[in-house]
Amino acid sequence: MNDDYLWDGSGEPDPEVQKLESALRGLRHNRPAPAFPEIAEITPAGERSRLLTFLLPRFKIAALGWAAVLLIASVGLILYRMKPGAVAPSEWSVTGVQGAPRLGGNAIKAGTANLGVGQVLETDSVSEASMIAENTGEIRVEPGTRLRLLTSRSGRKRLSLERGVIQATIWAAPGEFVVDTPSAVAVDLGCIYTLTVDDSGDGLLRTTVGWVGFKLKDHESFIPAGAACPTKKKTGPGTPYFEDASPAFRNALARFDQAGTSAEERAAALQVVLAQARPRDALTLWHLLARVEESDRSRVYERLEQLVPAPAEVTRKGIMTLDRQMLDLWWNELGFGDASLWRHWERSWSEDR
Amino acid sequence: MASTWGDGVETLAAGLEVRAVTGASAQELESDDFRLVDAARQGDRAAFGRLYDRYARMVHGILLGRVPPCEVDDLVHDTFLQALRQLHTLRDSTRFGAWLAAITRNRANDYHRRAVVEVELPENLSAEGAGVSASGSAPDRDQEAADLLAAIRELPETYREPLLLRLVEGMTGPEIAARTGLTSGSVRVNLCRGMQQLRERLSR
Repeated sequence: MNDDYLWDGSGEPDPEVQKLESALRGLRHNRPAPAFPEIAEITPAGERSRLLTFLLPRFKIAALGWAAVLLIASVGLILYRMKPGAVAPSEWSVTGVQGAPRLGGNAIKAGTANLGVGQVLETDSVSEASMIAENTGEIRVEPGTRLRLLTSRSGRKRLSLERGVIQATIWAAPGEFVVDTPSAVAVDLGCIYTLTVDDSGDGLLRTTVGWVGFKLKDHESFIPAGAACPTKKKTGPGTPYFEDASPAFRNALARFDQAGTSAEERAAALQVVLAQARPRDALTLWHLLARVEESDRSRVYERLEQLVPAPAEVTRKGIMTLDRQMLDLWWNELGFGDASLWRHWERSWSEDR
Repeated sequence: MASTWGDGVETLAAGLEVRAVTGASAQELESDDFRLVDAARQGDRAAFGRLYDRYARMVHGILLGRVPPCEVDDLVHDTFLQALRQLHTLRDSTRFGAWLAAITRNRANDYHRRAVVEVELPENLSAEGAGVSASGSAPDRDQEAADLLAAIRELPETYREPLLLRLVEGMTGPEIAARTGLTSGSVRVNLCRGMQQLRERLSR
């Protein structure tokens, strides 16, 4: 029996699934929408003003006491952080989902623990963990993963995925959340993605929602929802592709990206990629403009022009010389987001290194 | 290397057709969400109420896999209140479902952070201990539902969530994918594998 009934209720009914549905139906959500409060009443501004009304009369009385406490706490914190080997706390709290993940060498058996800056979270082959930062997002850490927290301050969250798999659901502003891997840096510009790094340092990024930037030095890839991008330790991000592209397209692209492929093999692979490309695969062709030999660039240009015509400001000459502004203008025509977003955040986190 | 995406998943996912979500395509759903979120941001409570009607089962199902059943209804309410408070921070209104799912998981984890000191959750849930009450059913039926729920809750989280949305909340696979923002491929694979593991557990 296939799984059509389980999937969408079509096909031959599966008696076991039907029995489970019937037994569990009583637990289903069945409450009507409650009366939600006026939105204005619960906005942060509203909460703030109520809080201020409450606090201000008491503030003067308590001010001196609080100042003293803060002074002592600040001095204590400075001394603590100066202590060799001290771990700075962060907003990331870690919960063991399965097995006993290790944080800083200690097993998390129950409850939650705080992942400090510089600390390593490690899962073995049977353990899983979940990391949450209230203002940033949630990261599912799958079995066989080693993850280090590099930076965690307002507007800047940086992790290093040394090996394994993480699923990141990010609600922080674009560009605030960055993950280093041995072969590329992933910059979140959207919401949900899965990042895999194998023992050799090679990796794969798959975007589910939003948009992620992948970069190694000047080599960069943009990966919108539904697309994936491999990365190799020495060469950095490969060429992104939509996962629903034809197998012939994907195989040819893999051959094109593979290190050590001869010029003839690359040319043949490129021919297949161009022939198989659908309008949606303009994503891949746009990336190829900067990755093909100069002699092949005009072929890519012409095919991309057929699939998504370049805007009026973009010239053939500009693309042949890889004019960044023109490349960005053409990218904006593809409908995957505005390149200026990426340029802004790229500068922002690059300065942070 | 261990991964959610095991052998053959690529092939299966690549072979999947994007099917229409029951009642509305994923695109229509996103477009409707966009309008409702926009209206809710302007203070339209009815619009937020419609978002509640649309997503309450998803929130309920996610919570059912993570917190004691007797706490779920209150936490559904809390989750929507939190979403309402943070609605102004949502960057892409068409992704309301994925965003709300993330808030829900976060809310469940927050529950455990607060509850861990106060009470140790029972390993095996029962109708009495966990507060399961299948409305309008006999005690043995309640017990059967509680036992099945306990079996599903023992599955890895990746499988638990889609199975609860499918078997308890009555959502179809395409609907789960559209509401949670996950790909159809991963939802289908996780449903399939989760069901396989559940069958094995129940046959023991």
